[in-house]
Amino acid sequence: MQLPVLNDAPASKGGCSASSCGSTDNQMDTLPDSIREKVQNHPCYSEDAHHYFARMHVAVAPACNIQCHYCNRKYDCANESRPGVVSELLTPDQAVKKTMAVAANIPQMTVLGIAGPGDPLANPERTFETFRRLSQEAPDIKLCVSTNGLALPDAVEELSKHNIDHVTITINTVDPEIGAKIYPWIFWKNRRIKGVKGAKILIEQQQKGLEMLIAKGILVKVNSVMIPGVNDQHLAEVSKVVKSKGAFLHNVMPLIAEAEHGTFYGVMGQRGPTHDELQDLQDACSGDMNMMRHCRQCRADAVGMLGEDRGDEFTLDKIEDMEIDYQAAMEKRKVIHQAIQAEMDSKRLEKAEKAQQHKQEPRLTTRPVLMAVATSGQGVINMHFGHAKEFLIYEASPDGVRFISHRKADQYCGGDTTCGDGESTLQVTIRALAGCEAVLCSKVGYEPWEQLEAAGIAPNGEHAMEPIEEAVMAVYKEMAVAGKLDDVNDSIRASA
Amino acid sequence: MAVKIIESCVNCFACEPVCPSKAIYEAKPHFLVDPKKCTECEGDFPVFQCASICPIEGAILNSLGEAINPPGSLTGIPPEKMAEAMAELQSH
Ligand code: SF4
Ligand code: SF4
Ligand code: SF4
Repeated sequence: MQLPVLNDAPASKGGCSASSCGSTDNQMDTLPDSIREKVQNHPCYSEDAHHYFARMHVAVAPACNIQCHYCNRKYDCANESRPGVVSELLTPDQAVKKTMAVAANIPQMTVLGIAGPGDPLANPERTFETFRRLSQEAPDIKLCVSTNGLALPDAVEELSKHNIDHVTITINTVDPEIGAKIYPWIFWKNRRIKGVKGAKILIEQQQKGLEMLIAKGILVKVNSVMIPGVNDQHLAEVSKVVKSKGAFLHNVMPLIAEAEHGTFYGVMGQRGPTHDELQDLQDACSGDMNMMRHCRQCRADAVGMLGEDRGDEFTLDKIEDMEIDYQAAMEKRKVIHQAIQAEMDSKRLEKAEKAQQHKQEPRLTTRPVLMAVATSGQGVINMHFGHAKEFLIYEASPDGVRFISHRKADQYCGGDTTCGDGESTLQVTIRALAGCEAVLCSKVGYEPWEQLEAAGIAPNGEHAMEPIEEAVMAVYKEMAVAGKLDDVNDSIRASA
Repeated sequence: MAVKIIESCVNCFACEPVCPSKAIYEAKPHFLVDPKKCTECEGDFPVFQCASICPIEGAILNSLGEAINPPGSLTGIPPEKMAEAMAELQSH
């Protein structure tokens, strides 16, 4: 069967798309159906599910047992959140209450994660009490947890007892020498251990934990932070190693380092990767395994669809006053989940048919093009340019349309240093779209229209409410017909 | 003899469970050490447990009032470099 776009590799590789070709040992293809099903509807793992289902995080785990050079412990765990974020710390009891309140009010919420603000497994009591209670009181919610891996081997047994089907381990390296440049110290067996020695122990624990989880049949996703000049050359190797051990997904995230975060990398002027470098690496790794390109590095207390945060509706004082009848909520949730499932199934079918059609049409020889899309979900173009807080970046090529990444419209500069003062939000947004040749949204205002055109990004509001992939392909074909894509050799490599 | 947690503590909870003497407790605005209970880990461990896991330089002082983890010792950021970066940020 055709899989959702976890990472639709370009079909050029051996003439078959990686997700449907039986001859490649693609991880998703080899997953048992039951597991694949879980992943397919998980907003963080499945590219199309993340348009429909929502996730939430609860911040119950404040302590950490290591130090990462991109983290400042005044803020949340930078492995899981954008740096510089502080979450409201909850007790397990408050976390359970909040989760059930959200589940009752946002029925699309299917996944509860504990990701911080420190390392969940460095706070085993708080983390496991939350999981224990939710497994009992809200059995229709999937649980997941992320960890730096140091305490993982000791936690596997307990994890396997709950409703947990996904664990994320942040693995930035498998080489202690490189590790020493990322992790200044770990706390291990009652001592602080610095340098290569500490990194070596951390790496061993991560790998051992990974193997133990796989042996227990628990899905493992691996996160890596790409740090140019430190581990960028090495992450393809990491990808190989973790895949050979059975991780089903590898997510490479860009380092975000700013001096004001007070992190080692921020203060020392270590830069993050550019959009191009990130995509190159993701492409290099995707030959080896599924890459996750839609991760938003959300906060440790995020609530809602990926890229959205409705946390403010569920603050402690607000949930205090909510009366939740969870039995009734579960009934309601079930009905809504089935409806979403049906819609997703039909969309997947449609998409597969369209892809099939596309294959039968005469093959274009045009160069690939990046386009930005503004959407608020449901897989259609339904957002006003000016309202978009982030854009989805797609690549259109003769092979079809594939999802590449997300780009934040504000606050985020892609690792370069040209973030001058006094730039308008519009200018920042336009810069975030660098490399894209069109932006598809439901509407574009007059001023942005002019500036987008001036920046070489064609604004397009003609495909409002249309499915994203179809619209992107339609625009691509228009560009081809208009002769904008003629010379393949002349192409600037598409980048995100 | 006792260690002391001061205001730079970020309330990360890490030290509380590792103290062999149950001397550390959550308090507002930050965690505190009960000086009557703190044994400086004497007899249990060769190093202060709290100060071995604390991620914040300067947050825990020894009985002489000195930072057990002085600036630069945990993050690896040379203190001059940190001062420079902070001055740079302030000038904006
Ligand atoms: S594991 Fe997370 S909380 Fe701990 S130091 Fe690393 S980024 Fe920070
Ligand atoms: S020095 Fe040892 S006994 Fe004293 S507070 Fe720290 S961990 Fe507890
Ligand atoms: S480990 Fe340090 S920062 Fe964390 S609570 Fe204890 S004293 Fe405060």
